[in-house]
Amino acid sequence: MANLLWLQGGACSGNTMSFLNAEEPSACDLVTDFGINVLWHPSLGMELGDNLQQMLRDCISGKIKLDIFVFEGSVVQAPDGSGEWNRFAGRAMKDWVQELSDVSDFVVAIGDCATWGGIPATAPNPSESVGLQFLKRDHGGFLGRDFKSKAGLPVINIPGCPAHPDWVTQILVGVATGHAGDVTLDEFQRPKTFFQSFTQTGCTRNMHFAYKVSATEFGQRKGCLFYDLGCRGPMTHSPCNRILWNRQSSKTRAGMPCMGCTEPEFPFFDLAPGTVFKTQTVMGVPKDLPEGVDKKGYIKLTGAAKTAAPQWAEEDMFVV
Amino acid sequence: MMEDGLETQTEPFPEDHVQFEAVLKELRDLPKDDLEGKLVVSGFVDHPYGEDDQRCLECMYYLVHRKWCDLPELAVPVEPEWWCRLWRI
Repeated sequence: MANLLWLQGGACSGNTMSFLNAEEPSACDLVTDFGINVLWHPSLGMELGDNLQQMLRDCISGKIKLDIFVFEGSVVQAPDGSGEWNRFAGRAMKDWVQELSDVSDFVVAIGDCATWGGIPATAPNPSESVGLQFLKRDHGGFLGRDFKSKAGLPVINIPGCPAHPDWVTQILVGVATGHAGDVTLDEFQRPKTFFQSFTQTGCTRNMHFAYKVSATEFGQRKGCLFYDLGCRGPMTHSPCNRILWNRQSSKTRAGMPCMGCTEPEFPFFDLAPGTVFKTQTVMGVPKDLPEGVDKKGYIKLTGAAKTAAPQWAEEDMFVV
Repeated sequence: MMEDGLETQTEPFPEDHVQFEAVLKELRDLPKDDLEGKLVVSGFVDHPYGEDDQRCLECMYYLVHRKWCDLPELAVPVEPEWWCRLWRI
């Protein structure tokens, strides 16, 4: 039996909603099949008021063993570092976060706000939000660069806006069943099993990417969303087209550009007008090229792809 | 028209997507069948252009088999060796 506690800071509850929709395994499976005891969760917790405060204090004192501490949302430090803008159970949430992280075997950050600060940390960041161990790409965050939980791991970051429900439950099962050693992390502390491939991996529009045929409107069935509509699929580490949403779709499959929400910079360009759903270019060349491709190679590749493009690549091959 | 030496507006080349959008807006204001206006505003020339010999063939909007510019604001027949200032790769 592994005790799990889930708290929520500066957040929209999106990751909680996502978690409750998990299927492989489901939130119920965590309890019934994998021996996870959910001590408290914002949507599931039974304790209220003094009882909740007592339970949190018991976790900190060690009376209740805390195996997994899950945090959703940014750590709000405003005003002036006091954290008073986000109070929970009688004190600043950030103080609970610090003390619970210190006593927990594993600390798991769920969603962009908890991992990198996310939208709340976007400039000018009035809530002084940070992620648990990162602020955007800067290592450090609220707990500091050197933080390690009692099991010796840094914060396990599961980003996304929201994180896919099955990424969350599968990592929780791995940790709770003694397989944390199998969870290897990348430089941003994301589990490699999910975040080593790209959103583009498995995208049904890959043939249009290859032959440089562009989609120019949302929902268009033909064409790649990278060239005009700002899709970040070739630069974003996520398995969105391998582990599908609702088991059947993804943004790009539905004709919506990937917004790169599993990367530390999300939301890109601080949401400045004209930067969302628009491919940024410099003298006609995309500002952000697919990872590992340089400008010279990209131009050569384009010439070859255009020359080799078959006729069907220019046609709408889908028949209703 | 191109062979007859139509003078088009090749400069300035849009350096970023904001300037690109500005040219598109000019095109949107033209009547749909104003072919000459489209050629002038988009700055077409009937040969490769610039240091890198940019041409329609490598442009994102060029449809090889139809010899057609697929940029919605243009939608004109083009040759692979042409170029315009809305060139984008």
